[in-house]
Amino acid sequence: MLRRALVALMLLACLGSPALAKEIVFAVDATYPPMEMLDANKQIVGFGPDIVRAIGKAAGFTPVLKNTAWDGIFAGLAAGKYDAVASSVSITEERKQAMDFSEPYFEVQQGVITAKGAKIASIQDLKGKTIASQMGTTGYFVAKTIDGAQAKSYDEIGLAVEDLYNGRLDAVIADSPVASDYALQHPQYSQKLTLAFTIASDKPEYLGIAVKKGNAEVLQLINDGLKKIKANGEYDAIYAKWFKKNN
Amino acid sequence: MNQQSHPQPVKIDIGDGAAIPSKKDHGLFTAWWVSFIGAIAVLTYLCVFYPSPYFHILSFLPDGIVVTFQVTFLSILLSLVLGLVTGLGRLSRNRFFNLIASTYVEVIRGIPLLVQLFYIYYALGRIESFSSLPPLTAAVLAMGICYGAYMGEVFRAGIDSIDKGQTEAARSLGFNRAQTMALVILPQAWRTILPPVGNEFIALLKDSSLVSILAVSDILRRGREFASESFLYFEAYTVVALVYLIITLILSKAVSRMESKLDYYERS
Repeated sequence: MLRRALVALMLLACLGSPALAKEIVFAVDATYPPMEMLDANKQIVGFGPDIVRAIGKAAGFTPVLKNTAWDGIFAGLAAGKYDAVASSVSITEERKQAMDFSEPYFEVQQGVITAKGAKIASIQDLKGKTIASQMGTTGYFVAKTIDGAQAKSYDEIGLAVEDLYNGRLDAVIADSPVASDYALQHPQYSQKLTLAFTIASDKPEYLGIAVKKGNAEVLQLINDGLKKIKANGEYDAIYAKWFKKNN
Repeated sequence: MNQQSHPQPVKIDIGDGAAIPSKKDHGLFTAWWVSFIGAIAVLTYLCVFYPSPYFHILSFLPDGIVVTFQVTFLSILLSLVLGLVTGLGRLSRNRFFNLIASTYVEVIRGIPLLVQLFYIYYALGRIESFSSLPPLTAAVLAMGICYGAYMGEVFRAGIDSIDKGQTEAARSLGFNRAQTMALVILPQAWRTILPPVGNEFIALLKDSSLVSILAVSDILRRGREFASESFLYFEAYTVVALVYLIITLILSKAVSRMESKLDYYERS
């Protein structure tokens, strides 16, 4: 009797799993507060993960978030280690040639963090200074284009900010929500650092979710979900949760 | 019965010449030459026939190579000094020196180099007097201190391997302790020490790639920067690996040259 019950249970389990929603694995570099980070319980939280979870619910798939170092995150995507990258990836022409992007889910500017009273208020003031950012980010690409400045690349944006805090750098460039989180919200850094200015660009920069080139199925699901959450107000709720309370 | 008490001497046929082969130079077909020419050939082939990624990547690396050389060379110097002092300290009859040297080895050997790098640069950076430490200096300090502990053990073993009779003879000839060590023991120990020290040099050169975590633009970081913008991970790391291999091979050749110069027994 017991055995029969067990067999029935196992059968049920086998039948049950295909009925579950399809799993899509998203790579996230959870070192980018408030966009993506780990909370005290080591769960991946932030604006991006909330968006991904909402998209999954709306489009009918189960998003699985996988913490992945930024360095090599696109190599892992190309190698098929996960289905998508949802980690504040700016949509750029170069990246479009190597991967496909969802519709944009966020407009981003580059924010410049400096020490308080550093007298840096514009790009011109950055000449001859040591500027740092995270390797392979749009912030680093901007830092490299500044004439007469020395650009340094770090593995994580947090390490660059730490070095700025310790006085070895003049400025750090990062996506503005991240820059403002470090410079204005962080209990320790905010005492010494400030968000000096955001870099005005003639071309708007957007974040998108990257998928392996040619993976139309996953892209379709993500875009459908994104459209739905933008339409039903869920996107605005998440946006408000992460950004409005501070301003 | 008689045979057991007077066993026949066993004759060992050692053939022609000595049982241990001499380290004669075998010309071009040594493992070193095969690796070296192979690495150069592959790199040249890639750069000539596929210049668009490969030569481009290679031309991205030179300042990284300079930084890697700087870090390696200065770290080697620091670790040699620390290693000698530590090795002598570990053999010292002075309890205090002995304890200091032994503790240094135990502590440093027990912490991964990557953690030491993080610690010296980022953790100590919170302290006022360390906060202005430039990344290159921090890298050299961390690597020199780490490898000093390993070298200390090599020096200790090498010095220990010299027969006590040498010390006794030198002392009875009127040398004091320092003279005995500097003029009699160390020159002999150096021959035993050099091969493992050479090994440490090469390990140090490769481990210098870890300093890229301090945003020091060495070969690895230059390669990673290139890859992160172009997404040519395979191509970038292929070139990085070949460049490291070529530099390491040159270093290993230099060490083996030094070894053969010190090889009193082989010299005729």
